[in-house]
Amino acid sequence: MKLAPLVLAAASLVAVPVQAQTTLNVITAGDQNMVDYVNNFLAPRFEKLNPGVSVKAVGTGPGDAGSQKIYEKLSAQQKAGAAAWDVDVAVIHQRGAATMVKEDLLAKYRSQVAADKLVTRDTAKNALGQNVDGYVIPMFHSQIALAYNPELVKAPPKNFNELEGWVKQNPKQFGYNGVKGGMSGVGFVMGYVTANAGLGNSLETGPYDAGRKAAIDKALGNLKEFNKNVVMTPGNAGTLDMLNRGEITMGPVWVDMFYTWIADGKLDPKLKLVLPEPGLPGQPMYYAVPAKAANAALARKFVEFATSPEIQAEGIVKKFNWYPGIDAQHVQSKLDPQSWDKLFTDIKPDALQKYGRPFPLSEYFTEIVEGYERVVLK
Amino acid sequence: MRLSSRGAGLLLISPALAVIAFFFILPLGLSVHGALTAADGRLTLAHFEKSFDLYTNDMLFTVAIVLLSCVGIAVVAIGIAGYLTLGEHPRTQSALRWLYRWPLFIPFVVAGQVMRTFLAKNGMLNHVLVGSGLIEPLAAQSLLDWRGIVIAFIWKQAPFVTLLLAGAMASLDVQHIEAARNLGAARWRVLLGIVLPQVRGTLLVGLVLSFVTMLSVLSVPLMINPNSPTMMTVDVAYRISTHGDYAVANALCLISLAFASLGAWVYLRHAVTRAEAAS
Repeated sequence: MKLAPLVLAAASLVAVPVQAQTTLNVITAGDQNMVDYVNNFLAPRFEKLNPGVSVKAVGTGPGDAGSQKIYEKLSAQQKAGAAAWDVDVAVIHQRGAATMVKEDLLAKYRSQVAADKLVTRDTAKNALGQNVDGYVIPMFHSQIALAYNPELVKAPPKNFNELEGWVKQNPKQFGYNGVKGGMSGVGFVMGYVTANAGLGNSLETGPYDAGRKAAIDKALGNLKEFNKNVVMTPGNAGTLDMLNRGEITMGPVWVDMFYTWIADGKLDPKLKLVLPEPGLPGQPMYYAVPAKAANAALARKFVEFATSPEIQAEGIVKKFNWYPGIDAQHVQSKLDPQSWDKLFTDIKPDALQKYGRPFPLSEYFTEIVEGYERVVLK
Repeated sequence: MRLSSRGAGLLLISPALAVIAFFFILPLGLSVHGALTAADGRLTLAHFEKSFDLYTNDMLFTVAIVLLSCVGIAVVAIGIAGYLTLGEHPRTQSALRWLYRWPLFIPFVVAGQVMRTFLAKNGMLNHVLVGSGLIEPLAAQSLLDWRGIVIAFIWKQAPFVTLLLAGAMASLDVQHIEAARNLGAARWRVLLGIVLPQVRGTLLVGLVLSFVTMLSVLSVPLMINPNSPTMMTVDVAYRISTHGDYAVANALCLISLAFASLGAWVYLRHAVTRAEAAS
């Protein structure tokens, strides 16, 4: 009888370290700020709510190449027939998500977490033409928009036609970074082609049709004319630099970069953003759970936590200036009006929903950037 | 005895040979293979056709930029090295000697970043020019195009050539210079007529090495002028990072190698002449 408390005490002594050994492996594509976000923001909060769990994040590098590395890792474990994979949560780009879903590398987990009801945007269901419904939840959206100086541009262009007119009247005041200097320029070219090719949103929803090349080339021909009155900038940051120095008065930029630069004092806070109709592309990063994640239940708990309106408000919007991954209206109530205004003063949530477009299907994407070199640059 | 010393000789150079084989010959072979192979494994020239179709302008632009930079580097290097050799103010000379080497220790990527803010339309250079009344504010223009690349290259490479050239000039027999000065020749006349002809080999080597170095620089054109026309290195990086298209990237690299080989040919010819003269 007297032994029982002792045994219990001993068991609890043993149990604590055993419990603390549960490690949740998060692997993330993207820049270092993604790793920092998981390790410095999400991990301590999640660990506090779940004693005995430690979250460990590893980065695989920026761009689609980062997602490709995660794909290779999971694919190797699948081919080796491993029963439990050593990745619990993967943070990936659209192109990576499309491949992984196609090859059955991801679990269809969305219906098992609370955020299921909070995501209605089509990026949650469609990644560059691949149906990913149920397999992913957007972590955040980043969006390309036109930044402009409101002192010199009284009526910012509401659509691409008005933009054409404005550029003609104000030659060399619009700047973008072509297709070789970063994604804000690539995104602008995609937006321009979408607005000028007369193909509606079929470039984004598919199916791929090689016969559309003529329409794409015609739109690129217009862009060649448009470029005559435009300044070419050296990169995503180059556009922001030139806006800041007053060398151009309008240009396409990443919205999160724009706000982060203003917060850091690197950009004139007078500048504003506009998203002209029919829109410019943006892209989400996705939370995914691999099909045979070793700690699948804990992984779902982690994603549920990370996609909760509170965390989306505090971390994604307030700290990192990204647009929320879940639908914006669920996040607004959790934020102080100031932080909310900062993100949505210029581009309202409904405009974002309407004009925040996905990138075109990968076949069209390649066709457009190559066409740019063939038609516009030659 | 002869054979074993030959064996020892081969053994001695084998690490160097291995490095060349693994890190130069093998990648080069893979590059040639990649540039000539179609997706289905057959031999093809399609990647070269595409390279010339899309990037002929960029090839001409690259060669023009690099040659122009070489001319600028030569002028600056001759000027500085000449003053260090023939100048008459010891204090100015030692200040110049101390100053001109600084860019040698600055990486290309940093030089590119510095030029980006220095040469911009509302950048530091134009601020100084406008502030000192040399140009009207409206006349200020951005130099961030081909001019920016040339300026960055000259700024970065001229000290290297100057270093070689000043060394060669310092080792010349001073009697020639003094004789010419005694006969009343002006300093620029001594520089161009007496000193320069004796060090032109060194100048040529310095310029050839700079030519090859500048051909391979990615950071400067990427930061200053990544849009059309731009240098071939930017196109290579673009084919890989945006399209994952190693075939056309390899073809572009081989074309770039052909340009560099021209430089190597000049260099070797000069080295052979010198070796023959020495023996």
